[in-house]
Amino acid sequence: MSARPSKLGRLRSLRRASQLVFFAAFVLLFGFAAYLVATPIPPDLFLRADPLIALSGMASVRRVVLPLLWFAAPVVVLSLALGRVFCGWVCPMGTAIDLCERLSRIRGQRPSKAPHLRRVKFYILAALLVTIILPAAHRSASDFGLTKTVGLSAIYWFDPIALVTRTFALVVLPVVQWVLALANDSLIAFSYSDFVDRHDWIARAINPVQLGFSTVGRPAYFRLGLYTFVVFVGIVALGRLARRFWCRNLCPLGALLGFLGKASPVRLAVSEACTRCMRCVNECKVGAITEDPHVYRGIECIGCYSCIAVCPVNAVSLTAGRAQAHRDDRLELDRRRLLQAAGLGVAAIVLPKVDWSAKRSEPSMTKIAGSKLIRPPGALAEESFVTACVRCGECMKICPENALQPAFGEGGLAALETPILVPKVGPCAQSCTLCGSICPTRALEPFTVEEKSHLYLGTAIVDRSMCIAWANDRQCLICDEACSYDAISQKQIEGLGRPVIDERICVGCGLCESACPVQPERAIHVYASGDKRHLSRKEQKAIRDQVGERPESGEGLPYPGL
Amino acid sequence: MTHEEITRRDFFKRAAAAGLAAYGLAELDRLPEAEAAAPPTIVVASKKSPAQLVRAAVDGMGGMKRFVKPGNTVVLKPNIAWARKPEQAANTNPEVVAEVIRLCKAAGAREVKVIDHSIDGPDTAVLKMSGIGPAAEAAGARVISARSQAMYQRVNVKGGKVLRSADVLRDLMRADVWINLPIAKVHGSTKVTLACKNLMGVVWDRGAWHQSASLDQCIADFAAQFRPNLIILDGVRTLLSNGPKGPGKVASPGVVVAGLDPLAVDAYGVTLLGLKPQEVGHIKLGFASGVGEMRLDRIKVKHV
Repeated sequence: MSARPSKLGRLRSLRRASQLVFFAAFVLLFGFAAYLVATPIPPDLFLRADPLIALSGMASVRRVVLPLLWFAAPVVVLSLALGRVFCGWVCPMGTAIDLCERLSRIRGQRPSKAPHLRRVKFYILAALLVTIILPAAHRSASDFGLTKTVGLSAIYWFDPIALVTRTFALVVLPVVQWVLALANDSLIAFSYSDFVDRHDWIARAINPVQLGFSTVGRPAYFRLGLYTFVVFVGIVALGRLARRFWCRNLCPLGALLGFLGKASPVRLAVSEACTRCMRCVNECKVGAITEDPHVYRGIECIGCYSCIAVCPVNAVSLTAGRAQAHRDDRLELDRRRLLQAAGLGVAAIVLPKVDWSAKRSEPSMTKIAGSKLIRPPGALAEESFVTACVRCGECMKICPENALQPAFGEGGLAALETPILVPKVGPCAQSCTLCGSICPTRALEPFTVEEKSHLYLGTAIVDRSMCIAWANDRQCLICDEACSYDAISQKQIEGLGRPVIDERICVGCGLCESACPVQPERAIHVYASGDKRHLSRKEQKAIRDQVGERPESGEGLPYPGL
Repeated sequence: MTHEEITRRDFFKRAAAAGLAAYGLAELDRLPEAEAAAPPTIVVASKKSPAQLVRAAVDGMGGMKRFVKPGNTVVLKPNIAWARKPEQAANTNPEVVAEVIRLCKAAGAREVKVIDHSIDGPDTAVLKMSGIGPAAEAAGARVISARSQAMYQRVNVKGGKVLRSADVLRDLMRADVWINLPIAKVHGSTKVTLACKNLMGVVWDRGAWHQSASLDQCIADFAAQFRPNLIILDGVRTLLSNGPKGPGKVASPGVVVAGLDPLAVDAYGVTLLGLKPQEVGHIKLGFASGVGEMRLDRIKVKHV
């Protein structure tokens, strides 16, 4: 016989509603940004609110970045006050896992059989903090003339917000767009059919639908989409071992917020009415309740309050105060493991920076690591860039030309999944400044259309053995046509113009490579050899100014900066 | 009385000429009456605002009602290739496009579509910067960026010497009336881009033209088959260097040229750019294929 549900039991419904609202907000902000719809709140809100990302972003530039701090601070305060409620009520990764577990009917193992790995997330956090802080400290030291070093922020592997954003950008969006584009193309084909011709009202009816579809645009394509998908599926599939396996055992953000939550005065209390039916123990998503229902781990509890809702005798309630007999806040970390994790962090900094293209005497990665490692405009110098970039995929998603792709082998392990310009897929359009305006960590700093004519990403080189004009003596010059910066001119030989490139003007935007009709390998390629990110914008401008007047640039895309 | 000596070579020449003439006459049969009957007429309007130029030129051709009947679906093909501003003269003047739309609407057009397969992207930037997107929509047209292959259909190019087939805009193929709205620019590869060259924007895979044996011949082949119901050439501003995208030297001849014969319009357009028709490969080839008249002394120019 169960008692009447308590008022507190409604907290679970409230929490579910909160999860859905925040998840919807995440999806909407994501979608609006993808279609350049201005929103009053920043489209990268969730990334900015992530204290780990804020910390990593600020450490990589070694100064306080207010746009990051403003949004991350409330989450820190929330955790200090209420514990890990962010994980239970807000986090889009947590909600995504909950939804997937529910839809896939993943129930996890019984609490007694679930693997005891909850400390792992703290070791991961420790290793990540080393990768965030040590390089920043070392680079501060290098300002005083010590050796130069580079760092690799590995947080993109484990940060939940970066992971879920990346999954949406590289997997969900392309799939949705592809389906819509297929529907759109079918509708277009149908609208031209004789059948529609005979029935004018159908044409009128489908016209607006077709227009709606066509604003979806061409479906984006991303290499590494499959890899990103597999990672996410893996995270969900771990739920077969224990529900929210990711949140309870691996998530470094959860570890950080749980640690902060030790200060929280709010706690669950179990009254003497408890019959030890163990429903709360079995229901707890993160295994926070111990075998004794009267004791729970405060660091693990994500405040989902399912325990309150399922208790048949209303024995569970919330209280506040210093007496925390029922809350076990011990970390119980193993010092040896912690040191090992820190060591792993150091290894993660050192090992990926293997750069086979650099001489030993040169500091590795200070310029470029690979000839095809072409960064978007506004990218920090390479060593800062790979540290600051959290691989969230926002820039790749927002690029209207689909030109930004996750790096795979172009820059070694250090650059894995960072954005690179792949002109074969698309060019960097002259009028666009979107990637610089959306980057949450300022790994890409905002830039203007005017600046694009002196932000040198690389240099285009004509392959004369493949070029239609050079090799086949036929008229073409599409590259010259396409160039927005007038860097390509034609050399008249035997009455036929052949393209030549002025490398002082060419910024490596890839419009030429993208337009080149030679297939499948283009006859003009952008190489990172012209990358001038090691110079300041002022110095780069001076280089361009020496050549003389530059073509008038257009306005930026109709998108409000951030 | 002496017999005229005819060499074998002369005989073949004359026979071929006679054959061609007969073939040409047969072909002429298929051309619109206005062209077959008399030397092609083009109308050149000058010294007015862009909208007035368009009205004057179209009136000179007999008014828009001659071409657009009530209830017609009209497709306009301006040059909207580039993310450039109107002052840079890389795209058709938006005021010219808007006025043509208004004239079509006034003549009773049911729907006016403005279509191009832009080269630059993204489409939003191209339409906005060129000014054609907002201007055309304000004038009541539907603006379409033809970015989906589903919007094109494979069409055989009969008699094409190099170009055998092309994927052409379905809207164009099905329109009651279509009007070519090029701008006059120099072009790095084909010397100029005018009415004939502007038609590359109605095909899907134009890269194949560049890879073919002759880009010029492809343009001529296509122009021979795809003849617009009216051509209105924008010479309000012209791009004189670094074409087709610019930025380059921009001149302001302040003219609009209208005509039915693409070669006649182009031949006149070439002079706006300081060149001669015979200097332009695709115009010469087009003339050889009987697309139209390129000899300026045989074109009737009506100044208004």
